[in-house]
Amino acid sequence: MAGYREDRYEVNGIDTAVLDAGDGEPLVYFHGAGTAFGFDHLLPLAERFRLIVPNHPGFGASADDPAIDGLHDYVLHYLDLLDQLGVGELVLVGESLGGCIAAWFAIEQPRRIRRLALLSPFGLRVPDHPSTDFFSIPDEQVPEHLVADLSLFAGAPMPPPPEFLAERYREAASFARVAWHSPYDRKLPRWLHRITAPTLLVWGEEDRLHPVGQAAAWADLIPNAEVITFPGVGHLPVIETPEAVPAIASFLAAEVSASA
Amino acid sequence: MSALDDIKLYFFHSHHYIPIPDDQERFRTTVVDYPNSQYDPQVGHALYERHLRTMKRAAELGFDGLAINEHHSMVFSMSPTVGLLAARYVTATDDIPIMVAGTPINLQYPNRVAEEYAMLDVMSGGRMEYAFPLGTGMEYWANEGTVNPVTARARFRESLDIITRAWTEDGPFRYDGEFYTYRYLNVWPKPLQKPRPKCFIVGTGSEETVQLAADHDMGYSIVFVPIKSQLRAFDRLRELAGERGRTVDPDDLVIVVMAYVADTDEEAVREARPHIENFFSWFHRVTPRFLVPPGYVTTAEFLRRVSDAATAKSTEATWDDMINVGRIACGSPDTVAETIVAWCKEAGCGRVNVALENGDMPEWKVAKSTTLFAEQVIPRIRARLNGGGDDTVDRSLVTAGVK
Repeated sequence: MAGYREDRYEVNGIDTAVLDAGDGEPLVYFHGAGTAFGFDHLLPLAERFRLIVPNHPGFGASADDPAIDGLHDYVLHYLDLLDQLGVGELVLVGESLGGCIAAWFAIEQPRRIRRLALLSPFGLRVPDHPSTDFFSIPDEQVPEHLVADLSLFAGAPMPPPPEFLAERYREAASFARVAWHSPYDRKLPRWLHRITAPTLLVWGEEDRLHPVGQAAAWADLIPNAEVITFPGVGHLPVIETPEAVPAIASFLAAEVSASA
Repeated sequence: MSALDDIKLYFFHSHHYIPIPDDQERFRTTVVDYPNSQYDPQVGHALYERHLRTMKRAAELGFDGLAINEHHSMVFSMSPTVGLLAARYVTATDDIPIMVAGTPINLQYPNRVAEEYAMLDVMSGGRMEYAFPLGTGMEYWANEGTVNPVTARARFRESLDIITRAWTEDGPFRYDGEFYTYRYLNVWPKPLQKPRPKCFIVGTGSEETVQLAADHDMGYSIVFVPIKSQLRAFDRLRELAGERGRTVDPDDLVIVVMAYVADTDEEAVREARPHIENFFSWFHRVTPRFLVPPGYVTTAEFLRRVSDAATAKSTEATWDDMINVGRIACGSPDTVAETIVAWCKEAGCGRVNVALENGDMPEWKVAKSTTLFAEQVIPRIRARLNGGGDDTVDRSLVTAGVK
C-alpha cells in the first residue's frame, strides 16, 4: 500500500500540513485532539478515495494559530483550505474533536457533503451518558481512557521522551483553546438537523471519553444517521480494531439511493 | 554609603493551613484536588488569629513592611482573597507599609482589583504596595478554572494596562480591549498615592514578565527559583530599563528569603530543618500536571521543564538540594545577616521579603526566630550595608550553617 505525500499550504497565513494519498472522490479526514498514532491506519481508505488528512492548526506538522479559539474558526480554516485544494463536493470523516468540527462543517455546508462519518465525536451533551472531561484525566490515566486494550501501547518507551510529552502538551493547549471552558458544545443539538448527508456514527462500546450511549442521541438529532458499534473497543475504533476502517469505507463508498 | 544602604526587610507570610494529617501519604497533592473535608474551620479560625498575632508582632518588632500573597485551593495558603487579609492588617497596624502580592489579575475582573486595591490605599492612608502575579498554574484548575490558561498571559497584560490606567488617568474613559470592554472605566475611590502605589511584577524571571515590568515602569519581585535565574532576570530588567532610558533602583528589586534564626547555626538547623523539609514535601506537594495547565507555558518552555529532572522531582528534594537551589538562610544572627547581605550585593536588590514561618513550624519557633531576626539580624544587615562590615563576603559562609 502506497504511503502519503505531505504537502504544505499557507491557509490564511498558517502553514498547514496536508497528507494526501490515492485518487478518486475526495475524502477529507478531520483528526482528533492528538496526532501521536499517525495516520497510516487510514491508508486502506485511499484504495477507493483521494484521502486528504490535513493537520489542524496547532497539531502535528501544522503551525500554531492562536487566533483559532472556537470550533467555527476550524470550519472557516477548512473552507479556505478546500478552496485551495479545489475540493468541492466531498465525503467527510471526523474523529473525536475532528468529529465535532466535521459536524459543524456539515451543518454549515450541507450540500457539499455526500456522505459523513463521525467517529466517537466530541461535544454533544447527553445527560444520561456524560463525557469525561479530557482535562480532568491524570496524565498516567490517559492511555486507559483512549483505548480498551492497553497492549496497544506495549513497546512504547516509558517514561515517554520529553519531546513526545512536549508535542502532546502543545496539542492539549490547542485543544484547550476551543474546549477548556467545557467538554460540550451546547449549540450542537440546535443545529444538527441541518445535516442532510447519510451519516454513520462509529463508536467503541468501551469508550471512556464519550460513552457509547451518546451514539443514539447523535442519531436522533441527525436526520439520516445510522450507528455501528464495536465491542471491546474504546475511544479510537480505527486504531483499535481492523474492522473499523473497512466498515467506514464501505459506508462511504455506497451510492446515494434514489430516495435519499 | 552603598546603593543598598536603605535596604528594606519585609516580613513575608503565606498563611498556611498548618495541620498535616497522620495519613498524609495517601494524598498525592495538597493543592487543587486535596479534599476540603480536611479543612477544619475551627482550626482555621485559630490559625487566622495566630497569623494575626504573628503579623502584629513583626510590625511591632520593626520590620520595614508586611508582605502577603494569594493562592487558591491549597494548604499552602488560607488567603484566596488577599485584599481581605490586607484590610485586616491595615486596621491592626498603624504606619507600616503592606505589600499585597497579590491577586492574579488575569483570574479576576481587572476593574474589581483596581477598585479593591485603591480602596485599601485610601483606607490605609497610602501604605499599600502591590505586586502582580500571573498566578501559578495550579490556580487554573480549581475555583478559578473558568479562565482559559491558554489566554493567561494575554489577559495578564491587558489587565495590567486596565488597572494602571484606571488608577492614573481621570475617568470616565472608554476601554476597548481584547478581553474587556469598558464603556465608563471610572474607579472610585482612586489610590491615595500619586501617581499610583509602588508596584511590582511577581514572576519566575521569564523574559515576558521582565519585559512587562520594564514597559510599565514597575519593580520585579522574583519568586523562589534558582539563584542564577534570579540574577539573570534582574540583569535583564536593568538592560531593558536602560533601553527605555530608565534606571532600575535597588528598591525596585525584591528577593524572597526563607530564614530561621537561633543563637547558633547548629541550633537553627536543628529547630528549622523538619519544618522547611515539610514545607517542600507537604505544603508544596503537587503533580506536574497541575503546575502547567495546557497553554500556560509555551511548548518550548514545557519541553525545558520536562527535560529538567530536578524540576520533576522537586518534592523529593534533599536538604542539600533545597539549600543549593534557593535562598534559605538558616543559622546564627551573624550567619543569616552575612548570607542575606551577600545575596543583596550579588543581586543588587534593596528589598528582601523574609519568610520566617514555613511548614508546620510551631508558634514559639516563629516568635523566637522573628524576634531574633528583628533584634539581631536587621541591625547587622544595616551595619554591613552601611559600610560598617566587610564587603567581601565569603560565599562559603552562605551555607555554612546548614551543611
